[in-house]
Amino acid sequence: MAKKAKTSKKRKTSAKQRQRRWWSWRFIGKLALVGLVLSAAGLVYLDAYVRDRFDSHVWQLPARVYARPVELYPGRVLSRNDMLKLLELMRYRRAAGAPTPGSYTTDGNTLVIHTRGFRDSDGGEPSERLRVSLSGGRVSGLSGGDGDSVARLEPLQIGSIHPGHTEDRVFVPLDRVPPLLVQMLIATEDRDFYDHHGISPRGLARAMVANVKAGGLVQGGSTLTQQLVKNFWLTQDRTLARKLVEMPMAVLLELHYSKEQILEAYLNEVYLGQDGNRAIHGMGLGAQFYFGRPLEELEPHQLATLVALLKGPSYYDPRRNPERAKSRRDTVLRVARDEGALDDQAFQRYKERDLEVVPRGVSPLYAFPAFIDLVRRQLARDYPPEVLGEDGMRIHSTLDVLAQLASESALRDHLNRIDGSGDRLNGSVVVVAPSQGDVLALVSSRKPRDHGYNRALDAVRPIGSLVKPAVMLTALEQPKRYSLATPVPDEPISVSLPNGTTWTPQNFSGESHGPIPMLDALVHSRNQATVQLGMDLGPGKVVKTLDQLGVKRKVPAYPSILLGSINMTPFEVAMWYQPLATGGFATPLRSITDVLDKNGEPLARYPVETREVLDSGPAFLIQWAMQQVINDGTGRGARKVLPADLRVAGKTGTSDEYRDAWFAGFSGNHLAVVWVGRDNNQSARVTGATGALPVWSQLMASLPQTSLPEAPPPGVEMVWMDPAGDKTSGEGCAGARLYPMLEASIPEKSDGCGTVHKAGKGVVDWFKGLFN
Amino acid sequence: MPQGPVRLIFLAALLVSGCSVMPPAEEAQTPVTADTELAGSPALSLLERADQARDQGRMAAAGRYLERALTMAPNSSWLYRELALLRLEEGDPAGAEGLARRALRLAPDNDAYRADLWELVAAARAEQGDPDGADAARKRAESLRRDRA
Repeated sequence: MAKKAKTSKKRKTSAKQRQRRWWSWRFIGKLALVGLVLSAAGLVYLDAYVRDRFDSHVWQLPARVYARPVELYPGRVLSRNDMLKLLELMRYRRAAGAPTPGSYTTDGNTLVIHTRGFRDSDGGEPSERLRVSLSGGRVSGLSGGDGDSVARLEPLQIGSIHPGHTEDRVFVPLDRVPPLLVQMLIATEDRDFYDHHGISPRGLARAMVANVKAGGLVQGGSTLTQQLVKNFWLTQDRTLARKLVEMPMAVLLELHYSKEQILEAYLNEVYLGQDGNRAIHGMGLGAQFYFGRPLEELEPHQLATLVALLKGPSYYDPRRNPERAKSRRDTVLRVARDEGALDDQAFQRYKERDLEVVPRGVSPLYAFPAFIDLVRRQLARDYPPEVLGEDGMRIHSTLDVLAQLASESALRDHLNRIDGSGDRLNGSVVVVAPSQGDVLALVSSRKPRDHGYNRALDAVRPIGSLVKPAVMLTALEQPKRYSLATPVPDEPISVSLPNGTTWTPQNFSGESHGPIPMLDALVHSRNQATVQLGMDLGPGKVVKTLDQLGVKRKVPAYPSILLGSINMTPFEVAMWYQPLATGGFATPLRSITDVLDKNGEPLARYPVETREVLDSGPAFLIQWAMQQVINDGTGRGARKVLPADLRVAGKTGTSDEYRDAWFAGFSGNHLAVVWVGRDNNQSARVTGATGALPVWSQLMASLPQTSLPEAPPPGVEMVWMDPAGDKTSGEGCAGARLYPMLEASIPEKSDGCGTVHKAGKGVVDWFKGLFN
Repeated sequence: MPQGPVRLIFLAALLVSGCSVMPPAEEAQTPVTADTELAGSPALSLLERADQARDQGRMAAAGRYLERALTMAPNSSWLYRELALLRLEEGDPAGAEGLARRALRLAPDNDAYRADLWELVAAARAEQGDPDGADAARKRAESLRRDRA
């Protein structure tokens, strides 16, 4: 019994055991099945996910902004120094024989420049070797590949526009990636890349051995494919779930795509550093960000630095941690040699080289934030943010790098002179090529690299006497009543204002000058005479003139506007001075000329537009009068700086209590507006002539200038007028002065002195006009 | 036609004013061409390329070439004329008119050339739906031609 019982017990136990085993097997089986189904479903899902995202992946390619390409042609004003400055900015390297694109060599006054080539709306330029001779401050000779008389250097990239998001990259197709970079990459990051199927047990094992040896985590062992998956689809946090999907995704990726496709995606996706809130992605942008050059132009030690960064872009940041970066770079070079990608001689040579990264501050990519801001605003009118952020458009802008640098130093030099402490005054400069309305330069601060308040576009300040040409012009459009010789009383004047108060404007000097020719009211900027004239004309008429010249802002017809209590930005002033500079043709100011797609095909043009807003006669007269401002008036300080034979015109402006100092003026080919003042609107204690004019003069003197036209247009004559301004006179007669006069203004009476002016011709022309 | 009366008036005017300046002799005017306007300027080669581009229907390229030429020769009436023609072809008559007016302002003293530019203004105005303006411009052209006849 006992035995029975025993056996029965035994049976019982084994049955129990059996029961338990059977139960657990079933459980495991079920679990496996569920797991299998789930992972199959997961795989199917992952597979679809991977393919979908890879196929439809949109590279975020921000729009890139380029400066105006440098045109080279015989006769162009360009000093050897400026040429070299440009080449340096564009990171051309000096190399005997200029062997590769992006290099040059000098031979006395002749430079051989191997250009990089670029696309433009007109097709652009191929990369070619140019011989450029420079003498006497000009291009004296040019010969290039196609024997043409005109050549261009590729435009300097001055910024990129990535609204909303923060990824930036320059896409480089695999066939343009230097093979050495690929070899280095594979040698250091994934030796089995061409043999594995997404994951590499061998690599993993190697990494583990290395980690054990080092007593810590020194190698990750993930393949390039896994790294791509990580960069491409997964967040950067190291969770187990992420690790779990990373491997199957890598395998799936390898299943569907070639090694080349994966490599290209990797090279363009990989994260290489941070620039403020801008993430640097891809080798193309990495090359620019760290070396200021296209990827194709990097030398082996520079390529190695980029590969070194993959281990940890901030840990191995060559700018912040140069020693660490260099040691890692040398490791990359050594591995490249060991793997046969570099011969030993080259290895020895390149490991001696410095890192050679460009300092962050000097990159032209960040150099002109104020101008980029203008481009961004003009683009935003026509393109939605996602297009600007993704489509890789190339924006050809109007920025002239030399004009920009000259403007920056003119402002900085003068402000340093009058405000050495550097914390009181600031200013801005707008430079325009008036005939096409191209904005050549925009400076919004004496520290032009600083982002932030764009004084050129946003500082809305009273323009003071800058308004006076508009008052004169209003008068000149009534030639029967007014000419530049018409006497205007410069006397104390009281104007009753609608609010019941009385306005008694004073002259700057505190003195009144009695009746003066209208010309002198402008030349010496007489307030009382201007108000007298303006009140005779009616402020409403002056507002109309401003409107005609292109002032968009609503200007109320108050008497105080006659002395410029109108608030405008420097850019707005440039807009309405532009027609004064061109003899009466209004041209919208543009900062963009062409928009190309990422392949360099033209997408849109911003063509020159022009509209006649002033007749040639009054336009010539006001220009001539503004020339006298510089020859004899408040702007004469410029004469000390500018060539004596250069005809330029302009006007000073100073607002109440010296809060704002202005100068706006132009030559035949440059219009520049300068504002100096304080951000807090306190007194700047400088006038237009002392605060702004010296900036303008230095700037204009450093740019190639052409004169304003000297010959009067049809319908305008130079006439000697008597001092009272109501009779013609002759040269050498007492008090007689020579004025350009519209025919309708020329009085019939003569004071009978000297040779009679050429009235006869005027009459003939008048008769002739009847028949024309 | 008005040649006679104009001469008479010239003489009368001379007598009245006692002016010693003779009216300009009406000699044959040299025709205005791209070559006379841009002789020796590198802008000329860009103008040629602009012409080629336009023939191939590459309007953006033509515009870019012409504007580049204009930065080299900013006072060339001819280049503004070419830009005006291009703009007209591109279907922007308002733009064309402004450019043609600019060409007129810069035009050398040549009646036939100026008459051509007034015709261009007339065409641009007609396309903007301004028949009166077009008429006025055409009359300016005609009177310039008559003067030369």
